[in-house]
Amino acid sequence: MELLPEGKKNTVQVTLADQKKINEFSKLIMRKDVCEADLAQQRQEKEYLEDVSLEIELIDEDEKVQYKIGELFVFLKQSEVVEQLEKDGEVIDEKIENLESRETEINERLATLKSDLYAKFGDNINLER
Amino acid sequence: MDTIFNSTEKNARGIPAAPFVAEVEEFVKDPNDFDLVFSKFQDRLSMYKYMQESKGSTVKQLRVRIPDIEHTLQVCETLQRHHDLSADEDDNEMEVHYQLNDTLYTKATVDTKDAKVGLWLGADVMLEYPVDEAIVLLQERHKAAQKGLETALEDVEFLRENITTMEVNCARLYNWDVERRKALREAEEGTKNLAI
Repeated sequence: MELLPEGKKNTVQVTLADQKKINEFSKLIMRKDVCEADLAQQRQEKEYLEDVSLEIELIDEDEKVQYKIGELFVFLKQSEVVEQLEKDGEVIDEKIENLESRETEINERLATLKSDLYAKFGDNINLER
Repeated sequence: MDTIFNSTEKNARGIPAAPFVAEVEEFVKDPNDFDLVFSKFQDRLSMYKYMQESKGSTVKQLRVRIPDIEHTLQVCETLQRHHDLSADEDDNEMEVHYQLNDTLYTKATVDTKDAKVGLWLGADVMLEYPVDEAIVLLQERHKAAQKGLETALEDVEFLRENITTMEVNCARLYNWDVERRKALREAEEGTKNLAI
């Protein structure tokens, strides 16, 4: 928050349309934060899965491994685990894709709003963090 | 004065939308009422903030509950799959390590033939279900929780928008009052000088 310089007056009128744009901007920023957090989490999960997929190749096909499901470790054959890993990987890929396209959408809209608002209010508004 | 926020606009959950102050004079008809109007606006703003807080905690709860349901569902599906795969065999047992304590896991064998699971329904009630029925129930719950999360998020966003509007409104009212007082003071000084 900055104060206006002494003697300078803020004369730009905020109209209803401007207010709506400001509101949308603040809403989208919030949505973007949630989206980014989700995305980071899913990417992390994806990384774990990839690591496991590599490691598991070293284990004999009929040997039993403990695969974590919920809070349980279930004894599954290596081949079953490989299958399960592939499925889990696909699910995560889809989630990541969805989140990424959402993020791009949000960013595009934010950019439009930003240029609109800056055009109208110039230095009187601060949309950066 | 109570009719000041007579906006009919509401969101799907009946949260009223904030009015937009285009001209301060529309709301402050008599400058003597300024303090009252201003406090009304501030009350409304704090109401929105309070509501946002409570909706925010609903969101947090659901974000914990949904993965919980997903995990339970995964375990049930694993039981079911194991049962289907070993249906023709004599041995329907599945070996697992389960958590006995925070840092202690121990081994269990689960007979997946006609297995039943206990689902925690809340309010100190646990009910036993056959696995296939449990899966259906959990899927429904998952859907409901997801829907609840979407609704709560919608509300949080709606409230955020209204908070922004209200903050701008309050700032505008305040500035209007400052200008008015300044004009008043100048006028007073003007008349004083005249007298001399």
